[in-house]
Amino acid sequence: MRHLLSMTTLALGTALAVPAAAQDAPGTCGDLSIAQMGWTSAEIITEVAKFLLEQGYGCDVTLVKSDTIPAITSVAENGEPDIVTDLWLNSAGEAYTRLEAEGTMVTLANVLDPGGIEGWWIPTYLAEAHPELTTIQGVLDNPQLVGRFNNCPEGWGCRVVSDNLIRALDLEGAGIEVFNHGSGETLASSMGSAVSAQEPWFGYYWGPTVPLGKYDMTRIDLGGYDEAKFTPLQNPNAPDPQVSDFPEAPSVTAVTAALVDEQPEVVEFLRKMTFKTDELNTLLAWQDENSASAEEVAVHYLTTNTDAWSGWLSDEAKGKLSALLGQN
Amino acid sequence: MATYDGLFDALGLRAWCDAGGGGGGPMSMADLMARASGGSAAPAGSWWDLPLPSLNNLHAACGAIWQTRDLTLGLERAFLSARDALRIVLDPVTQPLSWMLRQMIWLMVATPWFIMLPLLLAVTWAVARSWRVVGLVALSLGFLAFVDHYTEAMQTLAIIFVCAFICVLIGVPVGIAMSRSAALRRIGTPVLDMLQTLPAFVYLIPLIFLFSVTEPKLYGIAIILYAIVPVIRLTDLGIRLVDPDVIEAADAFGMTRGQKLWRVQIPLALPNIMAGVNQTIMMSLAMVVIASLVSAPGLGVLVLRGIRNLELGVGLVAGFGIVLLAIILDRVTKASLARIDVSRDGR
Repeated sequence: MRHLLSMTTLALGTALAVPAAAQDAPGTCGDLSIAQMGWTSAEIITEVAKFLLEQGYGCDVTLVKSDTIPAITSVAENGEPDIVTDLWLNSAGEAYTRLEAEGTMVTLANVLDPGGIEGWWIPTYLAEAHPELTTIQGVLDNPQLVGRFNNCPEGWGCRVVSDNLIRALDLEGAGIEVFNHGSGETLASSMGSAVSAQEPWFGYYWGPTVPLGKYDMTRIDLGGYDEAKFTPLQNPNAPDPQVSDFPEAPSVTAVTAALVDEQPEVVEFLRKMTFKTDELNTLLAWQDENSASAEEVAVHYLTTNTDAWSGWLSDEAKGKLSALLGQN
Repeated sequence: MATYDGLFDALGLRAWCDAGGGGGGPMSMADLMARASGGSAAPAGSWWDLPLPSLNNLHAACGAIWQTRDLTLGLERAFLSARDALRIVLDPVTQPLSWMLRQMIWLMVATPWFIMLPLLLAVTWAVARSWRVVGLVALSLGFLAFVDHYTEAMQTLAIIFVCAFICVLIGVPVGIAMSRSAALRRIGTPVLDMLQTLPAFVYLIPLIFLFSVTEPKLYGIAIILYAIVPVIRLTDLGIRLVDPDVIEAADAFGMTRGQKLWRVQIPLALPNIMAGVNQTIMMSLAMVVIASLVSAPGLGVLVLRGIRNLELGVGLVAGFGIVLLAIILDRVTKASLARIDVSRDGR
C-alpha cells in the first residue's frame, strides 16, 4: 500500500516538476537523477533533496525507484542515476568499495548523523515486564520469555553477522529457535503482528525505519561494540566468532565522478545535506501519526526545519527560496 | 481556497462541513511549491485545471468528508479488530496444510538419497510407463544431486507435491460444480481471474498478521491460490465439451445425474482434467521463488540469495534447477496423459 502510494506521489511529483522547471529557466543545472531506495527514510531524504535542487538550483530532478545493490550496479554499468543517497555502506559492501576505488563513484557525506542503528530488539512492553531481558545474557537465561529469534533474510549483510552471533552465543543451545525470514516484508510484519497483539518478539531490525518509528522497541545490549570482534563477524561462517554489538551504520550520499566535475554547486549542496538520526525518527513517527506520504513528510520537514536546511544552500539558492525562509 | 467550496456552500452543507473539523491534513508539495515561488497557495485556476472530485479534493473544501488516507486507515483498523475472530475460523481450517507441508518436507529430506531417488524413479515408471521419461528424470535429479542441490530440490518437490495434490483435491470438485451450475460459473470466473492477477503479497501480509510467519501454510496458501486456477478451468471446460449426443444417449439409457457424471462425463473429460493438473503443477513451480519470500525452503531461497548478493552463478544454477524440475514434472504428467488417451482409444 505504502509503495503504491509513494509510486503515485512520484508520478505526480514528476508531473508537477515539468512546468516548474519550465518557468525557472533551467540555467546551468539541467537533468539530474536520484536513486530512491524503497524504505521510508530514503524516500523522505530524496524528496527533500529533489525539492531543494529544483527550487533552489533550478535542476530538473527525476527520482528513480531502486534498491541498494541494483542502484550501485546501475551506476557501475550505465553511469546513471547521478546521485545515490541513504546508501548503507555495510549493505552495499564490496560492490561499492570497488566502485569508489575505481573512481566511478565519490562519497560526499554521511547523510545520517550519527548513522543508522542496527541491533537485536524486543518490544518495550516486554522489556518493562521483564527488565532482565534488556541484556543478551538475560535473554539466554529466559528463552521461554522471548520465543524465537527472527533472523534476517538470506542475502542481507546482517544475515551473515547475525548467523555468526547466533553461533557465538549458542542461541539454539539456549533453547531459542532461530527463524530465517524469506524477505524484509515478512520480518517487518512478524514484528507488527506481535506488537499489535502485545505478544513477545525477538529479532533483528534496523533504523531509522517506519516499524521502529511506529512500534516502541528496546534494543538488547549485546555487550558493546568492539571493532576487533565485529570485523570477523562479517565473514560467512567465521571461525570462532566473538560477541560484539553492531556499530552505528554509516549511510552516505554518493555521486558519480562525472557529476563532481560538471555540477560543483549541486555537489557542494549534497556534501552539506545531513539529517540527524533522531530528527528522522521524529519525522517517521510524525508520518505514522498523520498517515502521511513521504512527500508530505518532506514538506513537513521543509516547513518546520528551515534552520537545518538553509545551512546547506548556496547564497544564490537561498535567494531563490527566500519566500520560504522569510516566512518562518 | 478549494475548488469545490462553492458546491458545498450551494448545497447548504457548510455548517456540516466545518463541524467535521479536520484541519486539512499535512501540506502538500504543490502548496509548498506555490509558497516557494512567492505566490499565494491558490493559483487562479481555469476550467482546464478543474480537479477531479475525488475524496482528497472534496476534503479540501469540506472537512467532514473523509480523505483517502482515512479510508485506507479504516480498512487497516477494521482488519486488526476483526483479527481474533478471523483467526478462530481460519487457523484450524488451514492447519492441516501446515502439517502436511512440514511432514512432507521432513519425509523427503530425511529419507536417505539411495532410497528416495529410486522411489521417485519407480513412481515415474508407474505413472508414465516410459523408459525415456524415467531416463530423463534420473538424469535431471542426478545432475541436481551432483551439484549439491539435492536437499533444496527435494524441499521444492515436497512443496509442489503437497500443493498440487490439494489443488486437485479442491479444484476438480469445484470445476465439476461450475460445469453443472451456470450461476456458480458466473460467480466463479471473476474470482478465478482475480486469483491469477492479485499480487501475492497483497494477501500474504494480512495472512502474516493472522497466522505466524513461521507457519508453512503461508506459502502453501500463496501457491494454492495461484495454481488452483487451471485445474478448475479445465475441469469445467472438459465436462462442458463432452459431446451432447453422448449425453443424449446416456439419458436414453435412463442414467441418473450421478451415473452420467461418473461413467460418462468424467472419463471423457479426463484428458482435459489431466491437462489442468499439468498446468497446475507448472504454476506451482512458478510460485517457488515468491514462496521463498515468505520463508519457503528450497531452490527459491538460492535464487533470492543469487539476486540479492549478485552471485549470478548461484542464481543461475538454482534457476536452472527449477527449470529442470519443471521439465521432468511436465514430461511425467504429459506421459501419463498420453497413456490415458491411448488406453481410451484401445477400449
